[in-house]
Amino acid sequence: MKILDEKSDALLKRAARGDELAFLALYQKHQSPLYRYALRMTGSPWAAEEIVQEVFLLLIREPHKYQSERGELGAFLFGVARNRVMKHLEKTPRELSLDVMNSDGSTWREPEDPLTPMIIVEKAERIERVRDAVLGLPAEFREAVVLCELEEMSYEEAANACGCPIGTIRSRLHRGRALLLAKLELLRDVPRRAAAGGK
Amino acid sequence: MRNPEKPNKVIGLMNCEEFELRGLDLDRLDLDPIEAESAAEHARICTNCGALLESWREVKSDLRLLREATRKDSAPARVEVRLKQELRTRREARVPLGTVAISAWALAVAAVLIATVSWIGWQRTRHQETSTQKTTPASAPTQNAERPDATVSQASTASTPQADPTKRSDTAHFAGSSAVSKGAVAKDEDSGKFTLLPGSLLSETEETAIVRVRMQRGALGTLGLPVNEERAGEWIQVDLLVGNDGLPQAVRLAR
Repeated sequence: MKILDEKSDALLKRAARGDELAFLALYQKHQSPLYRYALRMTGSPWAAEEIVQEVFLLLIREPHKYQSERGELGAFLFGVARNRVMKHLEKTPRELSLDVMNSDGSTWREPEDPLTPMIIVEKAERIERVRDAVLGLPAEFREAVVLCELEEMSYEEAANACGCPIGTIRSRLHRGRALLLAKLELLRDVPRRAAAGGK
Repeated sequence: MRNPEKPNKVIGLMNCEEFELRGLDLDRLDLDPIEAESAAEHARICTNCGALLESWREVKSDLRLLREATRKDSAPARVEVRLKQELRTRREARVPLGTVAISAWALAVAAVLIATVSWIGWQRTRHQETSTQKTTPASAPTQNAERPDATVSQASTASTPQADPTKRSDTAHFAGSSAVSKGAVAKDEDSGKFTLLPGSLLSETEETAIVRVRMQRGALGTLGLPVNEERAGEWIQVDLLVGNDGLPQAVRLAR
């Protein structure tokens, strides 16, 4: 679709003038990663939905807040989403959602491959376990794990997204990994390297 | 055949502590190749770190499962609907920029006009007050004769087609400045005082104008003044002191 090939700046200018197609093109391009990030950080589909909505409402109401010379639109939107996520986490510290439902009310989607029911159940358990373990990390470590491991960002990209030096991201990721390992090994009853998390 | 120096060298480059810091990046694309080689070598030699790497790889595989399971996650459609609604509402409420600019300019011009008119009015009032202070009023009608020059000038020229401005210097002075007007009033005082017409009540604050007219003496009777019947047909020039309501309040004979 031609409109999707347009640069974000041009689309944003059109959207600011009320062009619905341009706005939707921007929304479709950016909403999914923002939603996933918010969901993985908050563990709440409702909170993630609210955060994504607030991010794009800001784009509608105050498009001038984005200045193209300061970076990509995606990075700006991520920064806004990150602020909202952090505010949410401040309000509800250490809130662990055990909700296994997707935002649309469905359960976790499984890849459509010919697996036996046992394998499917086992996979679902592993996913839930790791999801809960990630949500149980302190926010800054969780963020590093979400960005570098789940969103597969490079250290540089994650550092830009968080507005901190690469060394800080590496350090947080190291701590996050150690804690994650400890949690999951304890859950699996194989405390081989549980002590590593305590360093 | 392995280089016997290599294991020691590699272990020397990356110890267990360093492995815990950077060794788990082994599967990452952005790890430096030399570091990756050192980490792999260390994990192969060090049992503890090897177990750590194995353990981390299991976690990585779990994380990969989570990533795959949530790869298609996106905000629900209702968010898009709400945002579209907001966009439409704002678009409908938006006033064209041109209209806003024109309105702003019109308001600014109106404000400037009002300010100018007010300032001119204030200047006139101030000038009038100054003139009043400088003039020693001889009588009430004379005081009332002090009025804005422009009004007098316009009234004089508009209402007296028979008026002869060149005949008397004081008439010409009425069209001049306030100071000149004051001089003219003084001369008028010399030439004769205004006589209040019967029934007229002039207040000091009332603005008046002097209108010079040429009329037959008998017409004075219509103003309520006594007239000598023998000279009723005689043409005379009179100065009428006209009030705000346009009615003559006082009269005097002009030479």
